[in-house]
Amino acid sequence: MESQTGEYMVALSDRMERMEARIEAAASLFERAATLLEERENSVSGEVRKIVAAVETSREAELQKKLETAEQQIAELRAQIEATSEAQPGVQRQSGRKTVSASTAQFLAKQGIASLDSLEAGTLDAALGGLSLEQRIAVKAQLLRAGVVS
Amino acid sequence: MKLEAMAVTLPEVAGHPNRAPFTGVLTLVDEPSTKPPSGARGHRVILTRPAALAALPSLLGMAVDYAPSWDGHDARRKCGIITQAEVEGARLEVAGYLFAKDFPEVERQVRQGLPGSMGMSWELADAHVEDMRAEIWTLTRATFTGAAILLREKAAYRNTSFELAASRCRFTPNRLAPPQREHAGATRPLREEAKPAFPGTDRRKEPTWNRKRANTWSR
Repeated sequence: MESQTGEYMVALSDRMERMEARIEAAASLFERAATLLEERENSVSGEVRKIVAAVETSREAELQKKLETAEQQIAELRAQIEATSEAQPGVQRQSGRKTVSASTAQFLAKQGIASLDSLEAGTLDAALGGLSLEQRIAVKAQLLRAGVVS
Repeated sequence: MKLEAMAVTLPEVAGHPNRAPFTGVLTLVDEPSTKPPSGARGHRVILTRPAALAALPSLLGMAVDYAPSWDGHDARRKCGIITQAEVEGARLEVAGYLFAKDFPEVERQVRQGLPGSMGMSWELADAHVEDMRAEIWTLTRATFTGAAILLREKAAYRNTSFELAASRCRFTPNRLAPPQREHAGATRPLREEAKPAFPGTDRRKEPTWNRKRANTWSR
């Protein structure tokens, strides 16, 4: 009699353990499903910062197009600069524009140097001949900074 | 027909030179827009009725603006204020004042333009879209940040309208019957309940009393 009761209890205990395991598995599945549903909900719905119930005008479209063109040009120029610097890593980047102070430009103009685009060393030395050493150094430093001479 | 309304009270000033009362249909609720609004990434939108009703308080006190080309919004050109808003059927109707003295060009455009040529457009912030992948976006929550007067053909909702009252008066027009309205927040009834009949016993004074009552209403 006792052995029968013991067997029954063991069987009952086994069954309960199996049931507990199944409930745990089901709970785990529910949790996963809830997480998935939440993720799906978040990906589907969304916030929009600003909406205006007016149709987009041609002016806006035109401005958008201009902006895109400008951005493309900027990107191209950047790529060009990067390519140049990669090809000549030792060369310092210089702007295309060569400017010196007004007094220097005036002085050089008086000496017959009107353009700074093509300046020969001999011409420059001849032009600076009447100046003191300090003045010659100052003018040449300015021309160096401006990229006229290197 | 279910109708819900809200209003803010402005002090009454007789013959105010800078207040021109206006009424308009700002948008339609539970109906898709005719065209995609700006900022909706090419989607047409539906403003749900619950979202519109929840957002009504945010509409009161907001400005109406205009763009010189009458084709959109310009938040820096605020030419009026919204003081009443109501959802009547599918229409979200607004009323308020235009700053007519400061913006004579707006009054001129509305009064001299073709009848029915002007419409309205809302500006919403933090709009919640139910499904971003849907062909037509359903807006379930939003905040009104302003409105614009524009050519009706430039509005995303074709059935909007904007009209100025025939003459300047102290009250904005009111089409609502008191029993139909529901109020919330810091609002007031748009019109007082009907007063009781002449209470006195001297019937000779009744016409005078009625005349005074009528004058009170007209103001």
